[in-house]
Amino acid sequence: MMIEALLAVTLVGALVTFVAPNRIAGKLAFGISLIPAALSLWMFTAFDGSGNALLDGELAFESQFEWIQLGDYTISWLVGLDGISLPLVVLTTVLTSLAIMSSWTPIDERESQFYGLVLFIEANLIGVFTALDFFVWFIFWEAVLIPMYLLIGVWGGPRRKYAAIKFFVYTNVASLLMFGAFITLVFGLGDVTSFALPEIATAMLEGGPDGFAGLGGSALASVVFVAMFLGFAVKVPVVPFHTWLPDAHVEAPTPASVLLAGVLLKMGTYALLRFNFTMFPEQVEAYAIPIAAIAVISVIYGAMLALAQTDLKRIVAYSSVSSMGYVILGLVAYTQFGVGGATFQMVSHGLISGLMFMAVGVIYNATHTRMVTDMSGMADRMPVAVGILVAGAFGYMGLPLMSGFFGEFAIFFGAFGSGLLAYSQLFTSLAMFGIVIVAGYLLFALQRTVFGPYHLETDYDVGRAPLHDVAPMFVLLGIIIALGVAPELIFDMITDAVDPILENGGDA
Amino acid sequence: MEGLFDYAPAIALFPLAAFVIALAFGPKLPKKGAIPGIVATAGSLALSLAMVAAVAGGEEGYYHTTLFTWAAGDAAGEVGEGIEFTFGILIDPLAALMLVIVSLIAFLVHVFSLEYMNAEGETGLPRYYAGLGLFTFSMLAFVYADNLLMAFMFFELVGLCSFLLIGFWFRTRSAPSAAKKAFLVTRFGDYFFLIGVVAIAATFGTLQFAGDDSFVAAAEAAIDDGGQLFGFDAETWVTITGLLVLGGVIGKSAQFPLHTWLPDAMEGPTTVSALIHAATMVAAGVYLVARMFGYYALSPTALAIIAFVGGFTALFAATMGVVKDDIKQVLAYSTISQYGYMMLGLGVGGYVAGVFHLMNHAFFKALLFLGAGAVIILMHHEQDMWKMGGLKNKAPVTYYTFLAGALALAGIIPFSGFWSKDEILYDALIVGTEQPLIMAAYAMGLLAVFFTGFYTFRMVFLTFHGEPRSDVAEDPHPVGWAVKFPLIALGVLAVVAGVANLAPVAKLTGLEIEFLNEWLSSGVEGTTYVAYTDALAAVYDTGYIGTESTTVLIAAGLSLLLAFSGAGLAWKLYNVPEPVAHKERLGSVRETIESNYYQDEYQVWLAEGLTLPLARAADRFDQTVIDGTVNGVSSVSLFGSDRVKRIQTGIVTNYAALIVTGFIALVIVLGVLGGWFL
Repeated sequence: MMIEALLAVTLVGALVTFVAPNRIAGKLAFGISLIPAALSLWMFTAFDGSGNALLDGELAFESQFEWIQLGDYTISWLVGLDGISLPLVVLTTVLTSLAIMSSWTPIDERESQFYGLVLFIEANLIGVFTALDFFVWFIFWEAVLIPMYLLIGVWGGPRRKYAAIKFFVYTNVASLLMFGAFITLVFGLGDVTSFALPEIATAMLEGGPDGFAGLGGSALASVVFVAMFLGFAVKVPVVPFHTWLPDAHVEAPTPASVLLAGVLLKMGTYALLRFNFTMFPEQVEAYAIPIAAIAVISVIYGAMLALAQTDLKRIVAYSSVSSMGYVILGLVAYTQFGVGGATFQMVSHGLISGLMFMAVGVIYNATHTRMVTDMSGMADRMPVAVGILVAGAFGYMGLPLMSGFFGEFAIFFGAFGSGLLAYSQLFTSLAMFGIVIVAGYLLFALQRTVFGPYHLETDYDVGRAPLHDVAPMFVLLGIIIALGVAPELIFDMITDAVDPILENGGDA
Repeated sequence: MEGLFDYAPAIALFPLAAFVIALAFGPKLPKKGAIPGIVATAGSLALSLAMVAAVAGGEEGYYHTTLFTWAAGDAAGEVGEGIEFTFGILIDPLAALMLVIVSLIAFLVHVFSLEYMNAEGETGLPRYYAGLGLFTFSMLAFVYADNLLMAFMFFELVGLCSFLLIGFWFRTRSAPSAAKKAFLVTRFGDYFFLIGVVAIAATFGTLQFAGDDSFVAAAEAAIDDGGQLFGFDAETWVTITGLLVLGGVIGKSAQFPLHTWLPDAMEGPTTVSALIHAATMVAAGVYLVARMFGYYALSPTALAIIAFVGGFTALFAATMGVVKDDIKQVLAYSTISQYGYMMLGLGVGGYVAGVFHLMNHAFFKALLFLGAGAVIILMHHEQDMWKMGGLKNKAPVTYYTFLAGALALAGIIPFSGFWSKDEILYDALIVGTEQPLIMAAYAMGLLAVFFTGFYTFRMVFLTFHGEPRSDVAEDPHPVGWAVKFPLIALGVLAVVAGVANLAPVAKLTGLEIEFLNEWLSSGVEGTTYVAYTDALAAVYDTGYIGTESTTVLIAAGLSLLLAFSGAGLAWKLYNVPEPVAHKERLGSVRETIESNYYQDEYQVWLAEGLTLPLARAADRFDQTVIDGTVNGVSSVSLFGSDRVKRIQTGIVTNYAALIVTGFIALVIVLGVLGGWFL
């Protein structure tokens, strides 16, 4: 019942915070958020699962009971963790705590509602990464959107309404497509009587669908694969479905950006891994080349877009598109290092992009501008915050001994020798050029904003950032370095959960 | 003795500790972090010397251990077995030698910094010493890395540290720009390096440098098998991957065409330049070639390319050095040129010669940069040589040590640089007699000797000789022991280090005095000088002009003749009381050389004239076409729903009519489909 406890604490905490006085809401929410963080860290140390959650693995902290009977189909409450989902749950809880602390400075109205919504997002994200029944999972999946919509729409920047609606509608339409496709698939799988993902995965791998709505079995599988890929692709996001992301990031308040880039984007890649890349090995092979092409385009095109930006937040936002392209490349490689590296990169990018958004936020708190052209020499006034920004930027560039390097290296290594993906050496070499462009745009941005003689266009006194602004960044930096020096901390459990997937397809 | 090896990890960890201390407590420490740095590098130096003793005295002659496994898993690709990525230490004669060089230079630079940096009331000293500590740590860990991935990782960290230190004076506009350029240009090279690492790992399932399970041994076996690797025959694939790794070397060691970052890097403190040029960043590239020399020895094509790039760079950079007015700029171009020689040496199979020059260059280039630093103190931070002059008598220690370094750089017998440069040119010549391409590389290297002699002594004469040409040169600022001690130590080394390998003397007299040859002949089987010589015998034919002795004499005579001619011309033009530039004598090529052959221009154009507009075009495309489509879809649906909305009139009879119409339509459709009307 640990997962239920985790969810319950967070949900109750959200409600308590919602009705608490504004004055103490920030501190209270932070205190409450430490409970799920501590719980999930304990679960991390006590983790005893093995194998893949969908493929007959031993789940950790599993619990299951029947919930609703719907005609021939059973909906059950089924939750549990394997080596893929556990690191993402820990990422969620830790990052939420840190994001809450980083909100203390910028959030100064309707605090109790703000922090309540943040905790509400956290609960739903935990649900997304733990639920293993499609209906339960889908409820959490959709429920994440609402608080995020409100965070952007209420506490956001000048164009917050446009950004929030775009975010909501775009991702919701994509969810609808995915939902419809998946339900069609379930109906097409003759002998399946529940929405439990393990049962569906087994049915898919042992014969696949019989056909439905006039489509034969393999045609149905292909249509569903493509539809679900498109549905998740919006969430990731991959080019050309990425345009909601920079708008949402630019308008979102810092902590919302941290969670959006840090965890919400990983919902897309996590779902791709759980559904498309676990249940459809044949389709992965059939569509490997177009998927790899999308990955490479996301990496290079996303990086080129970042190069053209002058708003610090937009730079980091577009760089997320680029980084998530690596994840897709790792997935489609279908090797242990490829898929394992992709999963590692989800965690790593969550930490590093979270750190970058926090650092940009701290500078914004002091200067009230994020435009590269409005400032220079910030290192002179905010040495510690800038030091962390520089460290984070190098982390983003994949500096060795920081987590990003391992994620990228594992993906490159796994993709280079992929037996499933034709021309994998070419795709890998092209995608790797991203490491040059990322250095280009981040170093350009650093050179112009934090180095050079001190200058600020806006009329504010800039002093050192308060401790509660920089402390969360130090914690993140510590985790990033720890995972970079010893990636085995999570990579072992990841590969343990990844291996069963590859037995059904890939060659490694 | 071998028990000493247990302390090997501390060699790199000492400076790491100094980094942490300087970063955390620097502002509160008496010398702002200098003391921990000096203590740490002294400790590293002592341990490195102990490693030399242990290597010399041990039975195996090397130390190889795996510290911990970074990541392990299945290898895809050509091997299909497990692969382990590890951190490990390999201390063989080559690594031990390099550890001593790096820790010695780092130690002396720390001492020198006491006066060069601390005395000036500089702010940000903790950051400076933290940077030096991290730099030394990264380089030492790179040197004793036992595998290619670990080497790559610390290679990158070395790049980070040079970014931080070149950009130390971040409040200026030029230093951050130079730092960015250094990182970006070398990163471009490292892109190829990383592909090479990934490719080698995917091909052979191991990244170990030495031993039976090394990628070198695996590559050799693959070539012997004659099989296909990734669709190429094995030797071609080894050449491709070797050249990919070489991309990183060309970036870091500032070889053509990725040399452009290095002159700009003079924006950093002069002490940092000494460290970068002599022992860390730039040295890392060439050291890597020596480290995996066995791999390159399998590919004559790769070797020839290394040799040609090296020979060309040696000449190319030397010609640019002759027109520089800033003392540090002259030294910067000399560095590029000298590393070209090392590449030439390694490329023609002169493994010992390349390593020998790496060592000698480390000593004399650190000496020259620190000497230039002393001159800059003397001159109150003036770097233009035309404002100097006559410092010879006012600062004798600086002058004589600088002169020793200059003689070594110019390759004048019997100073250290002569012996190693001569050995490189000799090795190139005997290969060149059989291979025209190498002969061309040799010719370029030889011609560069003339320019080297010229720009070196032009620098010496302008700086120290003649009459003072400015007020500060009349009355220079005195320098203290922290400056003089490193200069004297390095000055002695620049004079005597050549004794390590008096190859021509040995060849002419038959005496066994090639100590470095001897030293590099032991170690892990397959990574010794002897093994390389065997491997190269299959690759390069060598020939003499006449006998071996005449070839030795011809090679040495030619290079000495050119060195003296260059130095003599500088003497004639600039060793006068009131020298003038004489640049007009260059005629039509003057502008080309002064613009550094427009290398910067085209690279800046690639970045700012091509990539940036392309990025902006992509951004416009993204906002108009892609996002336009998204917004367009939303407008269409809004428009559509607006029209649909109009049928909601609120009048019940309208609804009733619609319902009835709809019902009838439905019946008709069902009827048609069901065949009622047939």
